[in-house]
Amino acid sequence: MPVIELSHISKSFGAVKAVDDVSFSVEKGELFGLLGPNGAGKTTSIRCMLDIFKPDSGSISILGGPMTEAKKDRIGYMPEERGLYQDIPLERCLAYLGSLKGLSEAEVKRRAAGYLERFDLAAHKHKKVKELSKGMQQKAQVIATILHQPELLIVDEPFSGLDPVNTQMIKDLLREQREAGVTVVLCSHQMHLVEELCDRIVLIDHGHVMLYGALEEIRRQFAANAVLVKGADGVPALEGVERVEPVNGAVKLHLRPGVQPQEVLRELVRRDVPVEHFEIALPTLDEIFIRVVQGRSGF
Amino acid sequence: MKKILTILKNEVVTLISRPSFWLVTLGLPLVAALIFGVIGGLNRNQEASQAVSQAFLGPQETRPEGYVDLSGLIRQIPPQIPPGLLLPFPDEETARRALEAGEIQGYYVIPADYLERGVIRYITPDPSPFLAERARQGPFGWALRVNLAGGDPMLANLVQGPLDIEEISLTPVAAPDDDNLFMMMWVPYIVTLVYFILITSTATLLLNSLSKEKENRIMEILLTSASPRQLLTGKIIALGAVGLLQTILWGGTTYILLNLSGRTFNLPSEIRLPPELLAWGLVFFLLGYAVYAALMAGLGALAPNLREASQVTFVILFPLMVPLFFSNTVFAEAPHGALATGLSLFPLSAPVAMMARLSVGGVAWWQPPLAALLLAATAVLIVRAVARMFRAQAMLSGQPLKVKTYLRALMGKM
Repeated sequence: MPVIELSHISKSFGAVKAVDDVSFSVEKGELFGLLGPNGAGKTTSIRCMLDIFKPDSGSISILGGPMTEAKKDRIGYMPEERGLYQDIPLERCLAYLGSLKGLSEAEVKRRAAGYLERFDLAAHKHKKVKELSKGMQQKAQVIATILHQPELLIVDEPFSGLDPVNTQMIKDLLREQREAGVTVVLCSHQMHLVEELCDRIVLIDHGHVMLYGALEEIRRQFAANAVLVKGADGVPALEGVERVEPVNGAVKLHLRPGVQPQEVLRELVRRDVPVEHFEIALPTLDEIFIRVVQGRSGF
Repeated sequence: MKKILTILKNEVVTLISRPSFWLVTLGLPLVAALIFGVIGGLNRNQEASQAVSQAFLGPQETRPEGYVDLSGLIRQIPPQIPPGLLLPFPDEETARRALEAGEIQGYYVIPADYLERGVIRYITPDPSPFLAERARQGPFGWALRVNLAGGDPMLANLVQGPLDIEEISLTPVAAPDDDNLFMMMWVPYIVTLVYFILITSTATLLLNSLSKEKENRIMEILLTSASPRQLLTGKIIALGAVGLLQTILWGGTTYILLNLSGRTFNLPSEIRLPPELLAWGLVFFLLGYAVYAALMAGLGALAPNLREASQVTFVILFPLMVPLFFSNTVFAEAPHGALATGLSLFPLSAPVAMMARLSVGGVAWWQPPLAALLLAATAVLIVRAVARMFRAQAMLSGQPLKVKTYLRALMGKM
C-alpha cells in the first residue's frame, strides 16, 4: 500500500488553479523526488498531502487513509519557508517542537543531544536561534524535522543555503533515513542531487503532472538516438552517424533515424577500434527538466 | 489534551522568561511605590514635611488680622477663634498704623451701610486671588456670620450649609459627602481604566504571540504538529493565566511595597467597595478576556504581520473603550441610568461597564448575572467563529487585511 496517494487533486486560490488533476503515489521506504519550477504547485501539493490545505476535488491517502491528528506525530515536515523561534535558546526550541510531536521531555533531550553533537551544534545549544548562522539554523531545522523519528519525511529544499560539507551531511542523512525504512519525499531544484538520491520522481509544471515514474525509465524515455563513445585513439567516422559532439574527452554520436546503437557498436568492433567506453547517451535530469518546462519535450 | 498542555506550557515559559515581562510586571508597581514611598516617608517625618511644604509654599502666615466695625455689627468674637487672631480697631487710622508696623497682615472695614449693601473692604499690602475665599472661610468670616446670626454659632453654621442631606437608598450604596465626592467620581474611572488595560493588554499578548510565529515563519511547522484549535486553546488559556498572574503580581507588589514605605492603600471609610466586587471582577475579567482574546486571535490568524493587524485592533477594541469615555460622567453621576445600564449589559462593553457600576454599588442583583450570562454566550459564539477563522489556509495566506475582510471572516462569510 502506498504511503502517500494523491488521486486527481485540484486546488484553486481565487482565479488561480495551483494544482490541476494531480495524481501520484509514493511507496513505502522509497526516496521520492517532487520536482517543478517555482510556482508549479509543489508546495500546494505538499500542503494538501498534509491536510494544511483542503483540495477542491480529488482524494488523498496518507499513511493508509485520510490525515488525522495522530498521524501528524508520524510525519516530519520541513517546509521551504522555514523558521524557528528566534528569541529562545536552540535547545528549548527543539524541546518544544519535539514535545509537540508527542515525545517526552527526557526523550527529546536525549535525542536532541545526539543530533546536536552529530551536526556540530552542541556548543551552540544555549544560544538563541537568531544568534546562529543561516547554515546552523538550517541544520537545526533538519534536527527539528527528524527528532521524533518519523515514518514519513517530507523535506522541501533541504540543501538551500548549505555549503558542500553540510550538503553531504544532509545527503547522508536522507540515505540513512531511507535505509532505516523511512519514506522520504524530497522537493528540490538541485537536479543533480535529486538524480543522485531519488528512486522515482514526479515533475509538476503549471499545476499539472508532466513526468512521473522511475528516474532511469524517464531518462530512457528522453534519451535521444545517440551513443557516448570513448576510443583509445579517437573514434573514426562511421556510417549512420549524423553528427559528432565532443563531450569530456569522449564523443557523442547522434545517429540517423532508424540506426540502432548496436549497429554502431558492431561497426566499431568490426573495424577493431579500441573502445574504452560505450554507452547509450541518456539525458541528465537537468536537461529533461529544462526540456519539459520549456515545452521542448519529445512527446 | 497533551498538546494543548504543551502549547500552554511553552507560551507561559516563553512569556515569563522575557526580561520585558518582569520589567513591566515589577517595574510599574516599583515606580508607583517609590513615589508613594517618598511621600510616605516625608509624611512620617513632620519636620521634613513642613520643610518641604515651606520650600514650595513659603512660610505660613500666622500674624493676626484686624477689623474696623463702623456698622456696630460685631458684638462678640466667637470662642472658637483663638484670642489675638482677630483684633478690633476703633478707626481706620489706628488699623493702618498697626498694619504699617507689621502687627497685622491686613484689616477689614465693615462700613456703616453694610447691612444694606453687603460690601466689606479688606486692606492688605499682599493682594492674592484667593483672598476673598480665605476671608469667607477664615476667622473674620466666621465671626461675621455668628454676629449676623445674633451670636448663635449653631444658627451661623446652618446658614452657611443649610442642606445636609442624609440620602437613604433602598439598595446598599455609599453615601457621598464633601470629603469623598472626589473619590466617588474617580472610583468608576479607575476601575474602568484598570479593567480596560487588563483585558486589552492580556488579549494583545495573544495577537503578539501569533504575529511573532508568523514573522518567525514557524506557523506551518506548528500546523503539522497540532490542530489550529489546539493552538488557539493552548494560547488563550496560557496568556489568560499569565495576564491573571501579572495582575496578582501588580496588586501584591504594590501592596507590599506600599506597606514597606509606610503607607497603606485605604479607601475612605465612606466608600465601601461591595464585597462581591472581587468575585464579579474575576468573572468579568475571564469572560471579557475570552471574548477579546478570541477576537485578537482571529486577527492574528488573518493578519500577515503586526502592522497590518494594528489597523483592525482599534475597531475590535472600540466597544470596550466606550465605557471609558463615560467613566467619570455617566458612571459617576448616573451609574444606574439607561446608558450605563445598557452598556453594562451589552456583552462587548459589559466587562468594563459592569465593573464600573459595581464599583459604585447599588446595581440591581439580577444585572451582573444577566450581563455575565450574555457575555459567556458571546464568548462561546466568538470563540467558535474564530476557531473557524483559525484555519491553516487563512493563517498562511499572507494576504493584506482590511476591517471588512476581518468582519466577513468573523461572520463566517469567507
